[in-house]
Amino acid sequence: MANADTNSVYDAIVVGSGISGGWAAMELCKKGLKVLLLERGRDVRHIMDYPTANLNPWDFEYRLDNTPKFKAESPIQSTGADAGNAHFYVNDTEHSYLQDKPFFWYRGYQVGGRSLTWGRQCYRFSDLDFEANLKDGVAVDWPIRYKDIDPWYSYVERFIGVSGQKENLRQLPDGEYLPPMELSCIEHHLNDSIRKNNPGRLLTIARVANLTKGWDSRGPCMNRNLCSRGCPFGGYFSSNSSTIPAAMATGNLTLRPYSIVAEVLYDEASQKAKGVRVIDAETKESFEYHAKVIFLNASTIATAGILLNSKSHRFPNGMGNDSGELGHNLMDHHSSAGASGKHHGYKDMYYKGRRPCGFLIPRYRNLQPNEGLDYTRGFNIQGHGERSEWEDTMHDALGFGADFKNQITKPGPWTVWMAGWGECLPYHENKIRLNETAKDKWGLPLINVDFSFKDNETKMMDDIRKTSGEMLEAAGFTDIETFNYNKPGGSTVHEMGTARMGRDPKTSVLNGNNQLHAVKNVFVTDGSCMTSSASQNPSLTYMALTARACDFAVNELKKGNI
Amino acid sequence: MNRKTALKSIVAFVTLGVSSGALYEFLKPGEGLPVTSLPKKKELIAELAEMIIPRTDTPGAKDARVEDYIIKMITENTDAKAQKSFMAGLSSLEHYTYENYHQQFVQCNANQKNEIIKHFESKGTYSIGLLNKVSKKLLGPSFFNQLKDLTTVGYCTSFAGATKGMAYDFIPVNFEACIPLKKNQLAWATK
Repeated sequence: MANADTNSVYDAIVVGSGISGGWAAMELCKKGLKVLLLERGRDVRHIMDYPTANLNPWDFEYRLDNTPKFKAESPIQSTGADAGNAHFYVNDTEHSYLQDKPFFWYRGYQVGGRSLTWGRQCYRFSDLDFEANLKDGVAVDWPIRYKDIDPWYSYVERFIGVSGQKENLRQLPDGEYLPPMELSCIEHHLNDSIRKNNPGRLLTIARVANLTKGWDSRGPCMNRNLCSRGCPFGGYFSSNSSTIPAAMATGNLTLRPYSIVAEVLYDEASQKAKGVRVIDAETKESFEYHAKVIFLNASTIATAGILLNSKSHRFPNGMGNDSGELGHNLMDHHSSAGASGKHHGYKDMYYKGRRPCGFLIPRYRNLQPNEGLDYTRGFNIQGHGERSEWEDTMHDALGFGADFKNQITKPGPWTVWMAGWGECLPYHENKIRLNETAKDKWGLPLINVDFSFKDNETKMMDDIRKTSGEMLEAAGFTDIETFNYNKPGGSTVHEMGTARMGRDPKTSVLNGNNQLHAVKNVFVTDGSCMTSSASQNPSLTYMALTARACDFAVNELKKGNI
Repeated sequence: MNRKTALKSIVAFVTLGVSSGALYEFLKPGEGLPVTSLPKKKELIAELAEMIIPRTDTPGAKDARVEDYIIKMITENTDAKAQKSFMAGLSSLEHYTYENYHQQFVQCNANQKNEIIKHFESKGTYSIGLLNKVSKKLLGPSFFNQLKDLTTVGYCTSFAGATKGMAYDFIPVNFEACIPLKKNQLAWATK
């Protein structure tokens, strides 16, 4: 498996095995193409390579605290990881990048990528999102509309298994759902209050790729809430549990871990890409693989980096970069602002099990033009309602001794924590670029990230803070604290936009089929392709766009167009 | 606001909130032993942890071997500043005990131990929450709060603490969203 023959001719090369790369590999394999899937990190086999999945807190050397070594070597990753999933995060020292402004780039260099540790939220975009740039005169118009992606959302949802509740909202279209997870007492209470006090607003259970019943030989979810360690029950969707095994089953997949793609190779004569140059991560040996079609799914920042590094006579500034937009328009949702509070009711009620998701209050701002707000676009609120347990009560409980012990070991008051996941506009100046001098240990240029949230995002955060607090207050919560954590960019791990889709090759990198305008056999279907961010968690959209682009690519191949 | 001004403003607030008059001592940097000497203090740490979370009808800190966790965390997984503060606090507690009770902490009776911990709690805790936050940010956590936090985490993530001191559900299977609280229901140990 690891010794993919360089003389073999593949029909397709997929770069990256994360959530979108896994989908590209599976779709292309199922359509009969011989596919080479390149992954820069190690192999992670479903179940077998989840070493922490069944460990108890006391089984870890420092309990769930990260080890001193990991914290020292990985100052960024260790802020997002714990001892249970640290092995699915990179070493920051070995895989460094440069921050022009603080930017947290969380990465998982292994087969499955970040699909192992993702948040599993699955929300469809709507035409409110696809039309937003055009209506606002911001950046460029999406080259697609909801009707173009709607069947592909369904296609993906049916395959991965998404639990959720239909709500019939224009701004958050319903999908094809397994039975929803259930709301807790306090979440029902908040939902009732929100619906009563704010016509048009509601609270619903999160829509997540956690299985509420067996699906595709996986699951169901056991409600352990340890997803990010890898699930031995296959209770949630990941490349490892789902798309890669399905691709393997076709007999058409070759998976090669430890394969760092340095560049896409351009053939001047045919005006197409002929393959990729790979550096073996372990031996540092460099070689080429050739194929008819190439899918880039290395993740937003890395994919743009590969294209910028793919220089030729035709593309001196990076492959497909005629517009000069490649690497620009970097976005990440903000999720810093919100509110929390306590509720003194329902004292005689509790729950059993650890539901692996929270609730969602779908977007309720700027659904109509001219709502009179001082910012454009919107946010959805995500949160959870539960009783305080020792991790919360230990900071409030005064004193020591038997009384203190009693306070932290008995169920505390019901609490709700919630925060707005907000849209970030595409700003040309938010960008990545290749450093001209600094190189990594494989001789590849380091990437500089230059990103900041701006006025529109800041004003939106103020409104999130205010309205979150108001909803809790109206529902009878006490001790309400509104907050803005002011987390740096990247913290929501929804980075996107560096090779945007658009209608005009002069202002965008990809067309409406995720094809490089100028190199028709190169497709980009990870977060790079996003023209705007909307406020929904984006992975479902990446998967749907990938499936759609694969269908298009295979048809074009058959027609001889690429 | 620089550190000095911030400290001054704490002092200005002190009359409102500090529960003991020992502010001078609180601000004075204590001298502690090197962290390598910590294993020798195991018995003392075990006694201190047991004062925070005693054995009742469920296991206490000693049953959960919290002292091993505290020593390991302070020695291997705590930044130098917090390490120093913990060591200084420990020395300070030993001195205080000797000066006032003329014996070691482990030899003190239950009342004396209680008085000693109370003294250190009052040194490190303001009755106004905001001041605790400010002081933690400027000076690091107080010795008492370090001890209390480490004991709590160590206990609640231990086998004895999680499975007997609280309710632990390794594989819940189902999520039951709204169920009546059982009599003497313990809190879930993990989220």
